[in-house]
Formats: sequence, structure tokens, C-alpha cells
Amino acid sequence: MTDTTEADFDPYMTAIISNRIDGIIREMTNTLLRAARSGVINGARDFSCSICTGDNRLLASAEGLPIHIFGSHMQTQAMCDFAGDELAEGDCYLHNDPYSGNTHAGDHTYLVPVFIDGEHLFTAVAKAHQADIGNALPTTYMAGAKDQYAEGALIFPAVRIQRNHEMVEDVVRMCRSRIRVPDQWYGDFLAGIGAARIAERRLKELCAKYGKEQIKAFVRHWFAYSEQRMIQAIRALPRVTLTNSGAHDPFGDLLPEGIPLKVTIDIDPEKALIELDLTDNGDNVECGFNESEACTSASTITGIFNALDSSVPRNYGSFSRIRLKLRDGCVAGRPKFPHSCSVATTNVADRLVNIVQSAFAELGEGWGLAEGGLGMGAGCAVVSGKDHRADNAAYVNQLFLANAGGPGSPSADGWITYGLPVAAGLMYRDSVEIDELKHPIAIRFLRLMEGTGGAGKFRGAPAMEVAYGPKEQPMDVIWPCDGTVYPPKGVRGGGDGFRCRHWKVGANGQEEELPNIAVLKIRKDEYVRGNQAGGGGYGNPLERDPRRVLSDVIERYETLERANDIYGVVFSGSDPDTMGIDEAATARRRAELRRAAA
Amino acid sequence: MTYRISVDTGGTFTDVVVNDGNGNFSIGKSLTTPDRIFEGMRNAMVNVAQDMSTSLEDLLENTSLLIYGTTRATNAIVTKTVAKTALLTTQGFPDVLVLKEGGKFNPHDFSQDYPHPYLPRRHTFEIEERVGSEGQIIIPLNIEEAGRTIGRLGEQNFEAIAVCLLWSIADPSHELQLGALIEEMLPGVPYTLSHQLISVVREYRRASATAIDASLKPLMQAHLRDLEGDLRLAGYQGEVLVSTAAGGCSSIDALIEKPIYTVGSGPAMAPIAARTYSAMEGMGEDVIVCDTGGTTFDVGVVRDGRLTFSRDTWLGPRYTGDLLGISAVDMRSIGAGGGSIAWIDDGGLMRVGPMSAGSVPGPACYGRGGTKPTVSDAAVVLGYFDPDYFLGGRMKLDVEAARHAVHGVALQIGLTIEETAFRILGLASDLMVRAIGDVTINEGVNPRESTIVAGGGAAGVNIMLIARELGCGKVILPGSASALSAAGMQFANIVAEEAQSLVTLSNRFDAVRVNEVFDELENKLDAFRRKLPGRGDAYAIERIGEARYLGQIWELDTPLPMDRFFGDDDLAAYVGAFHDVHERVFAVRDPNSPIETVSWKARLKVALSEPPVPAPSVEFSEVKPGAATRPCFFGGKTPLEVPIYKPGDLAPGSRIQGPAIIEETTTTLVVYPDMAVSISGNGNYLLEIA
Repeated sequence: MTDTTEADFDPYMTAIISNRIDGIIREMTNTLLRAARSGVINGARDFSCSICTGDNRLLASAEGLPIHIFGSHMQTQAMCDFAGDELAEGDCYLHNDPYSGNTHAGDHTYLVPVFIDGEHLFTAVAKAHQADIGNALPTTYMAGAKDQYAEGALIFPAVRIQRNHEMVEDVVRMCRSRIRVPDQWYGDFLAGIGAARIAERRLKELCAKYGKEQIKAFVRHWFAYSEQRMIQAIRALPRVTLTNSGAHDPFGDLLPEGIPLKVTIDIDPEKALIELDLTDNGDNVECGFNESEACTSASTITGIFNALDSSVPRNYGSFSRIRLKLRDGCVAGRPKFPHSCSVATTNVADRLVNIVQSAFAELGEGWGLAEGGLGMGAGCAVVSGKDHRADNAAYVNQLFLANAGGPGSPSADGWITYGLPVAAGLMYRDSVEIDELKHPIAIRFLRLMEGTGGAGKFRGAPAMEVAYGPKEQPMDVIWPCDGTVYPPKGVRGGGDGFRCRHWKVGANGQEEELPNIAVLKIRKDEYVRGNQAGGGGYGNPLERDPRRVLSDVIERYETLERANDIYGVVFSGSDPDTMGIDEAATARRRAELRRAAA
Repeated sequence: MTYRISVDTGGTFTDVVVNDGNGNFSIGKSLTTPDRIFEGMRNAMVNVAQDMSTSLEDLLENTSLLIYGTTRATNAIVTKTVAKTALLTTQGFPDVLVLKEGGKFNPHDFSQDYPHPYLPRRHTFEIEERVGSEGQIIIPLNIEEAGRTIGRLGEQNFEAIAVCLLWSIADPSHELQLGALIEEMLPGVPYTLSHQLISVVREYRRASATAIDASLKPLMQAHLRDLEGDLRLAGYQGEVLVSTAAGGCSSIDALIEKPIYTVGSGPAMAPIAARTYSAMEGMGEDVIVCDTGGTTFDVGVVRDGRLTFSRDTWLGPRYTGDLLGISAVDMRSIGAGGGSIAWIDDGGLMRVGPMSAGSVPGPACYGRGGTKPTVSDAAVVLGYFDPDYFLGGRMKLDVEAARHAVHGVALQIGLTIEETAFRILGLASDLMVRAIGDVTINEGVNPRESTIVAGGGAAGVNIMLIARELGCGKVILPGSASALSAAGMQFANIVAEEAQSLVTLSNRFDAVRVNEVFDELENKLDAFRRKLPGRGDAYAIERIGEARYLGQIWELDTPLPMDRFFGDDDLAAYVGAFHDVHERVFAVRDPNSPIETVSWKARLKVALSEPPVPAPSVEFSEVKPGAATRPCFFGGKTPLEVPIYKPGDLAPGSRIQGPAIIEETTTTLVVYPDMAVSISGNGNYLLEIA
């Protein structure tokens, strides 16, 4: 049964210790969530915790966001390379350099090397997306930055921030002098270090309890086990080479066609290997949409995991069965300095997740996923300004009010609070009241839109729309949206998800449609409104269970028109409490639509 | 003689505990009768009365207080038989119950549909109005249109109405006007206004609690009134109180007003029992309570003698269930118990659960057709249960079926059946250890410095393993372990809580307003207290701020060290208390940060019983084993010949060195090698963990 399992594999102790490691990561997560100051962390949970081995292999990540954690080992590698022999117990490092393993500069990563009897056995990793990092504009997504210099953030390529558990105050002073709302940043900084330190304490306790040798054996066994699970998952696939393509939206005159993307996936069940080739993509672009190596890897590996048995552990062991072919200087590969990777975690990364997971739908019914809704529009903008309620104190934060809808799958409709392909529903949503309490913002509406999920046997989740503006002082509102031009696609006959659209509404009520990438100043009595995308549908809508269509109509997820025109379902009665399916008329209508399509 | 009766009606069994007034408990059990709850209750009371050599009539006549715990509300929610309920919400925000707060467990799992909201989406109605975050009226209430909407609710036969408007906690006038309109247009239709039920920021939490509460009103009103009627017909003339999720009990009237507080009220009593037993045995005020049933393992924490509370209690799974929202005793439940199934996955790793054999077909050893190896089967294989004396002989166990089931797993991992069974038990225990870890970590409690109180019929099998794993040296298995919730009610206080939101910062603290808030809260509590007949002055009020560092959004309960804020010292003491709580829970403090308190709570406690009396001290001496022995396995290939004890063999002061098995009628206690157990002056088992 086993290919890689070692002779001394202990199925019992391996289960016990992996439970403990997961518990440690959950404790890190709880600490960071509850102790952090900025909404992006404490409300939206835009952060991830993981543990790497001393030799820089990802060991465990519990509920971390896929885009965040799959590259942690590159950052711990950078820490080891930079610190060399100086690496010592009591150290903590700050890392946000996309050129040495980080996702994008907006994610600050706190790295604590864990020493057991003088040996560097683990590194605890806490990565949190910041409300602000001192960029030229008040946003962590500098879509228009021509290169990293134009972004303007402080870059920390594994810089020591604690030595002997004491803060290196020089770094704190640098950050306080550059990052907007420094007290908020400092609270998040303490919470991040706290999370990594809690893991350090618990890992030491774990080693004391079971002994260093048993823990080392566990690490070996856990990787072997995870690899074995991945082997089984790949063996269930046919021998095939899949190709798929897509594109990020255009960006003004700079990228009139957008960013075309292509992936080739070679599945070899016999060798139990999947090879992803991304070399056939364009060169780096002169704006913030380039992928860091961490994001290229994480987003494509996410796409694969989305298409396999979802219980396979995510770590070095299972990743070792995935081979990536990347190209230097490529927009979806390894970037060439000083190209900007400011928006690397979302836009192109979301497209990469989508084209990989939907490629698997080519394998046949029951495989793969549709494309998930994407685009960070008004509902996920970074807003900033002055708060008239607090002596005009500055504020800056990313909102997470509206979500894009999830993709239809072979067995379920799209997840409504999906958010983005790179987050896949894991992140939390803002409370309207908390956002209004924390910021001088007035939210006018927030709701789902009927008939906006891509139709399908299993449909995409509907789009969500939002409107808001400032209360008194002007508000800077910045977003780098995708999905306004190229919608999330359906698969196997499923329909596309609804596109994003945005407007600015003037004090006189006049509406002006906005481009996908927006940098705005909104004044009192003005507001923005718009919607995130709906998810793509999976399978032919004419095969959708009519009872699902009925439920969609009475619960107002779908319109009567779409039920008739796209799903071919006819109802008896119109009172939602007594409405039923007219089976005969539905059969006739579906036959009619099939003939028309043929 | 004055008795006190407590009744816990669970899904399967109704437990009754009778206190004879001298602290002696008698326990009765009977099957729950969902159609008429009183039937099962009476059967259980008859059962106890027999044990006490009296009659039901005498028992009821001599009882002054009956405390009733019910799962009626929880069952109605699970079986989706609550009232047809409408939600009135602010225009533009119709999807509060659908969207919840986001979050999901596995990012790669797309196999499940998104959950349905607590109330169908079409039963949400938008009302033209808007209050702002500073309490300003942004859009006035359109009363004509609201009247038309409420009229339609009447036509469509809605049975209850939940009203939750944005920022009603900053200005409740629109909710109040809607309440008045409902009373005028639809008299008798029960409704709940969010600001009155749960005064917290965050619209989902308020809407969810309000929807749940309103949807329970018609049925809980009928249920509690019927029960009271049945009790009176049976001749009971004493007082009736109902246990609540707030960790105490309250009057029937109060719970008809806020029936959501009966949800989860049974488990909420377990920590009260645990706290009392720990105090009786002189084992301190930090307590972990574990209640092991057939399919779930519930765990909670008592810290410094205080119950712990959470607003994050989900009905159903986290994220996809419905949030209770109210501040409820924090008892966490995981799906782990005797029915959890052991298996080997395709990577060769040993797993226990999450699949369960449930009660049908049940574990293989039940002989009802189950073939999968469960935790109970493992215990049978290990020799821990007497196959002929399970549940006092009420069920015969099929040892061969259990061995056969475990054999499959044993083959896959190349160990003997008994070695495998011990690992199954170990892994199940580890899941419970992890659940305890999650709760204690959240509260900053150190298991090594706490006392475990174990309850539930299945607790005795592995509680010593769990305690050893946690490094916890003090463990009590009370005599009433099999009816821990009903026992807890015997020690419960009357508890009532009032809360009001008032956001204020420590660096611009509005002491006047805060003091006014406490005046209002305490006036309400005083009014409630005066309605309780025959209560003396044995009451106390706790005052609590729900506070956080400026910029955080998750609050920590911070007890006020004083009654009111008069000077800088009072504020400094409160701020100091917050820093301490934050450091305990999150291991860091930020002494320079302002502290933001978002709401203020006052909790009334009226004592119903005297504080627990310490157990009479006894001399412990070893008990000589009787003739009965049985081969039992403890991880090795070969068994040990283990003495078996029955309750009749034991008395206060008895001490038994492991390995040993103690067979009570409702539970089996496994004393592992190198461990021991002794019986306290109160008849509780005190476990000695090696």
C-alpha cells in the first residue's frame, strides 16, 4: 500500500503529535485575531500562521489562507541565509520582501526560530496583511506602481526585530516614521510577534514532553504520510496533459488587452507527479500586477488542491509531488527586480487559481471546479482620511464588506461568502456597524443581487453589491478590481458569473461609471456603489435539479425569467409558500431549450 | 423536611435529583417523553421516591423548590419546528442572516452547499429607516410603509416577529415604534426587539439572537405554562424556576420573555456542579468540567470560582450554524464519544471519528448490526466492561463482535487486537485533550493547576488518561457524575443579567454616563428581584465592562473592582483590571493604549442555597480486593488480572490502587496501573493520577 512510508512509521504517535501541532497553530491564530488592532486582521482574518522545520520545509498550516502559507518556507530560508551563524534563541525577524520569499510587501511576516537544546528545530511563522505599510499612496495594493521604488514601502528582507526577546527599537522607530496610523501598526506588530512567541513556547513544551528524537521522527513520518496521501490522490487521476488559459482585465492604456495567462498541467499517475508549466506567459509588466515566486507557487498549488481530495494535508510532503516550471522575468513566474509585486496576492493570483482548478473540469463530469468570483472592488477598498469624531485623527484600513461569489462544483452551489479564489471563504466579513464605528463611513446598502451567479447544474454564488461614502471629511478610496471585463467562467456548460461594475455618485445624484482600477477622493454627500463578481456555474443548467431552481426562485437568488429561459423550469402557482414544479411543462421547456441550443 | 428537586430533560433521558435538605442527593432516571414532558419527569420522580422510600405525592408536597431544565427550545431549532417568524431589518441590508460573519474551515472543500439562513430569506422584510453609528437619525422611520408591511405579516399568518435595525443600540426609537405598531396591529403576536434582548454592536449577532428568540416565543410560552399546569395538577405547590444558559435559573415569566436563554441551559449547569464539588473537596477554584456522553464530549472552564461566558456559541457547526449571540456559559462540544469510529486512512495514519456509529446501529458490541470498530468496542476488547453487567445489566455486550470489528484495524497496522484497542482509546482521549486545550487556552487557564470534574456515563473509561496527558493531578468523579447537569441545578443561583451598550474611551472617560447606565441596569435588576417571592438579602451584583484596546474589535469581560466610577483611582483600577485580563489571555499588554469599553453588564445573583460545606475529612485505607477479577489490557500484548469492585465494596475512606475496575450501575471507572482512587467523605471519587 505504501511507497514512501518508513519502516518505523507509527500510525498512532504520528496522529497524536500532528493533533498537537494543529492545536499550536490554532492558538497562534486565536492570539493574532483577537489581539490585533486593524480591521484587516482582527475583523477580516487576513493573516495566516504556520510552522516550518529548521531546514525550511513547511510542516503545518492549519486554517491558513492558501496564498499566504505555501511560501513560508522560502521566508524561513531567507532568514537562515541572512542571519547565518548569528541566528539565535530569542530572535524574531520581520520579512516582507517579495524578492526573497514573501507574497507581497503588504504582508508583514514575523519569524521566530525555535531552538531545542541549542538546535534550530522549527521556525514559527505568522503572516498578517497590514492596513498600511508606508506606500506612496494610502493602500497596500499599488496597482499603478511602475516598479518597487514607486511603491514606496519599507522593505524588510528578514530583518531582526528582536534579540534576546528584546525589541530592536531602531526598526520600530523606522516603521513609526513611515507607516500611516503608527499606533495601529504597532498593535498589530505586537500581536504578530505574540502569536509567533506562543508557538515557540508550545513547541518547546511539545519537545520536552515527547523528546527531541521522537519529534524529529514525527517530522519525517508526517512528511512521508502527507506525500503518501498525495500519491494516492494523484493515482486516482487519468494520465493526461491539460492546458487552460485566461486573462486578467485590461489596465488603462498600459495593458489594453489585460494580462493573458496560460498553464499546462501534466498529470502522471504512474509516477504520482503533477507538473505545472507556467513558462509560456508574458514578461513582467510595468505595474503592480506581477506575481512574486511565492504567489505564483501558492496560487497554482491551491488550484490543484481544490481539484483533489480536500483532506490531503498541505505541507512539504504533499507539495513534493507537484513540480513547477517557472520562468525568470515572467509576470506569472519569478519576477525580475525591481518590478512591482504590490498586488501579487490577489488579481493575477486569483486568475491562476481559477485556470488551474477549472482545467481539471476537462477530465469529465465530477472533476474540477468552475471559476470563482474575483475582483476587489469597492467592497474591499482601502479607505483612509481623517476622522471628525476623534479630533481629525488619521485612519487607514482595508474594508471587507462585500464578497465575490464562489464557483459551482460537481456537487454544490457556490459559497456565498467566498471572497476571492486565493481566500476561498476562509476570511471573515466586516460588520457594517463595526466599520461605521471604527471609521467615519456611512454605508448605504449591502445585499446580494438576484440572478447573478453563473447558471449551471450547480450554479455560482450570486454577486454582492455595496454603497458607501464618508460622513464629513473627504475619504481616499482605492481599489484594484479585476473581473469587470473578463468574467469568471463557467465550465462543462455552466454560465459565467456576473461581472463587477462600479459607479461614483455625486452629491446631485449624478452617476459616473468607474474604471476597474480606481483611485478616488470621495467628499461628503458623494458615494461609491458597485458589486463584486458572481461565481461561474458548473454543468448544464438544464440538468439542474428543478427543486433547487424552485428554492432559488422563492428565496430570491434567481429570477423567474432566468428559471424559464436558462434553467427551463416552469412552476405552478406564484405564492412562495405553495409554489410547485410543473413537471410536464418543465420537461417540455427543457426539451425546447435543448433543441434551440443544438 | 423540605426537599429541592431538579429536573434535566435531555434528548434521551430525564434526570431527576432530589436534595433532602441536608445535602444528600438521590438520583432518578427515566426516558424523556417529548409529547408531554411531565410524563417522563413524573416517572423519574416516582423512581427516586421509591429509592427514598416515599411516595410521589409526599415528595411533591414536601418540596419547596423545583428547578426545571429543558432542551425543548434546542430540539425545536434542530428539528426546524420553530414558529413562522418574520425579520424586520433596515432597508438596504436584507441579507444579514445569510451573510453571517464569513469564515469556513477547509479552503479546498467545495462539496457542501452554503447553509440556509436561520429564517428563510423571503421572510426578511426591509423597513425604510436608518440610524447612524453616533445615534443620529439618517433616514426617519416611514411609519405608513412599516404599517403596510406589518399588515401583510398578519395576512400571511406569521406567528412571531424579530426586529433588528442597524444601530438600534445607539438609538432604539425606531425599534420601539415598530414594537408599538406590532402590538397595535397584531395584538398577541410575540415579538423581540434586538436592543432589548442583546445590546451589542455587530448586526449579525444581534439579528441572529433576535430571530432565534422570537421564533421560540410561541412554543416556549405554551411549553412552560403547560408544564407549570401539570405540576400544579400533580399537587405541587412550591416554586418553579427554570435553568438558563446564563449559568443560573430564573422565573418562568422571565424565560417566556427571553426564551433564547433556555437554549443550551442543560450543559450550562455542569460547571456549577463542578465548581461546587471542587470547593467541597477543597480542590480550588480553577476547574475544568468534562461531560462525556455517547456521541459528544462537552467541556467548560471555571476560573477563580467564576463561570466563563462567551458570545460565540454556535447552534450547529461554527461558521455554518447559527450564532446564539447572547453571553452564555462557555461549554464547547465536540463529536467524540463511545460511538466514534476508528479507521486507517490511505496514507496509513490511524484516525478516530468524525464518523460515529451513533445509537443505531451503535458500536459493534451492542450487537445491533454495527460492524465498525468504535471507542466502546475498544473498551470491551480491553476488558473494561463486564459484558453481562453493562448499565447495571440492562444491556448485554457482544465481545466477539467487538473483537471482530477491531481486528480489521489491527491487521492494517500490524498489532494485536488489544494493542490496537488501547491505541483507539488513546486517540479518542487525545481528541478530548485537544478540546480541553482549546477552551483552557482561550481563558488563559493552566490545566496543570486546575481540577478536573468529570461527568457523564462514559467519563470513567478514559478520564484518568486524559488527566495524565494534561498533567492535571486533581480529578473528581462525583457520585452524581451521571446526572451532572441536574446536580448543578441544585447549586445554582437565580441569575439575571442586564446589559447596555455605551462606547467610551479610558482617555476621555464619561464616568457620569457610565454611572447612569449602571443605575438603570441595577434598577431593572432590582425590579426583577422584588418580583421573586420570599427572597431575603442574599444577593450580589457583579458589574462587568466588555472592553478592548482601542482599535481591537474583540472584547474581554473585565470585572469592575468597584460599584461606580467616582474618581481617577476608580478608573485606574478598572484600566489595570483590563490590562491584567488581556495579558492573561493574550500574553501581552499595551500599557500606553487607551481602552475602549463598548458595553456594560450587571449580573444579579440571588443565592438559593448555602455555600458548599467542605467534605468531612476521612482516613484513607486500602480496600482488600474481593474475589472477582478480570483480565484487562493496558497497552501491552498480555493482560493483567484486575480486581473488580462494586459500590457495595466501598465506603468513604476507601482507597484502591490500580489497576482496578469499579462498576457502578450507571458508569464504569477504570483505574489504570500506577494510579489510584479514593472515596471522599462526601462519597465522591478522588482520582490519583500518576
